[in-house]
Amino acid sequence: MSNLVEIENLHVAFRNDEGGYNDAVRGVSLTLGREKLGIVGESGSGKSLTGRSLLGVLPPYAKVSVDRMSFDGIDLKAASPRLRRSLRGGRMGMILQDPKFSLNPVMTVGKQIVEAIRIGDRKVGHREARARAIAVLESVHIRDPESVFNLYPHELSGGMGQRVMIGMMVVREPDLLIADEPTSALDVTVRTQVLSILDELVSRRGMGLIFISHDLNLVSKFCDRVIVMYAGRIVETIEASRLSEAQHPYTRGLLSCLPHIDGSLEPLPVLNRQASWAEA
Amino acid sequence: MLEVHDLNVDFSGKIAVRNTGLTVRSGESFGLVGESGSGKSTLLRTVMGLNGSWSGTIKVDGLDIRKTPRKQLARVVQMVFQDPYSSLHPRYVIGQQVAEPMRINGLPNPERRTAELLELVGLGGPKFQFRFPHELSGGQRQRVAIARALALSPKLLLLDEPTSALDVSIQAEILNLLNRLRKELGLTFVIVSHDLAVISYMCERLMVMRNAQPVETLTRDQLRAGEIANDYTRTLIAAA
Repeated sequence: MSNLVEIENLHVAFRNDEGGYNDAVRGVSLTLGREKLGIVGESGSGKSLTGRSLLGVLPPYAKVSVDRMSFDGIDLKAASPRLRRSLRGGRMGMILQDPKFSLNPVMTVGKQIVEAIRIGDRKVGHREARARAIAVLESVHIRDPESVFNLYPHELSGGMGQRVMIGMMVVREPDLLIADEPTSALDVTVRTQVLSILDELVSRRGMGLIFISHDLNLVSKFCDRVIVMYAGRIVETIEASRLSEAQHPYTRGLLSCLPHIDGSLEPLPVLNRQASWAEA
Repeated sequence: MLEVHDLNVDFSGKIAVRNTGLTVRSGESFGLVGESGSGKSTLLRTVMGLNGSWSGTIKVDGLDIRKTPRKQLARVVQMVFQDPYSSLHPRYVIGQQVAEPMRINGLPNPERRTAELLELVGLGGPKFQFRFPHELSGGQRQRVAIARALALSPKLLLLDEPTSALDVSIQAEILNLLNRLRKELGLTFVIVSHDLAVISYMCERLMVMRNAQPVETLTRDQLRAGEIANDYTRTLIAAA
């Protein structure tokens, strides 16, 4: 089976005050099958930019260059904006960190899902779209979807909002889902629930999932494969189950600086950053 | 150091904290855990005097907070907020922010003390004093917020999710800093967090809250030995 996503040598740069460019992503190459791929790194490591350039939603002032970028056999580098627009939403979806900012505050969540369905397929009637929206709310484990349909985003809790976001993204049954810190704004108990919903959807529909997070432990439990990024580069790619055997000192440092419920009370080890990590 | 009895807080009819009490000894680090909406932050804000309508008694270092003037209270208890991006003034340089509480309280030599405080939190040297918050990273901003909270030499520090907006690598640095400061300055901490691992690392005792009420209070040893009476606490530990 061919890869769902292939990226070769991706660079993203932003103009700085001196008129030059600061590289934010520097030569990232990755492939994704129908699997759960985690991208981990600190703020500013370029993990979100990698996801966004795949979707094609970077701001126009970002300078992007890539040797090859393809999605299910479609060459994204040569694709017209029109084609890319038609891929977004329909075949690739994105879940953002905070549902408070990514849902329309003045529209009921049901309407927003119906809108998402009808933008994708104008032939779907109102009644059918409504039925589908309610079905998808049910599939993300929302109790009483009929009444949630008529609620506004501010009437939902964080976990419910995030499930609505996920519902809205999967209702068009995309092949690829990019989840950018989907659970960082959620409580631990709700987090487990949201993750199991994502997991269920990915395995049932055979989607590819790119899961962007700064939480190594979470990613290692949830994903099949993990990419660790530092300063715009991939420093290590590793099977999630073997994360504890990670070789790179940065990955090891990230793992060891977490406190544990039954861990030692000595000062936590902190990252001793080496300039060489940022080199190729 | 902190005594709370029969605390009730409601926001126009909606009860945020119900019949809650707790006692924190001097020099202790006490954790509050629970999901969003469980009332843990509200409890902290009420102690700080940031909520208007509440009933019950709160005493900080023997002072009844209803009867203590604002300025005097500020010298005993200070707070560090979750998000260092919004808790610092965007148009004040770092040095000004840290000196502000000292100016308000008319303390001598705010400039010299500011330099000392910044040194204490690892932002020493003249280079940081004149920077604006947007020129600092999240971890550095949280250090500034800690320095500002220490400006009036309080005895009790209330920390509302002090590291949840930060990367794990930076979280370790801030937690180490807080532990060092507690030891050096003999501070008492009350820490709110949804992360049980952080609480277990930082606190000798903790209280679990749910639906505006305390569920149970545990010592660190009890938490680690699994001597837990309540099912909800077990769920939290399993999810952590």
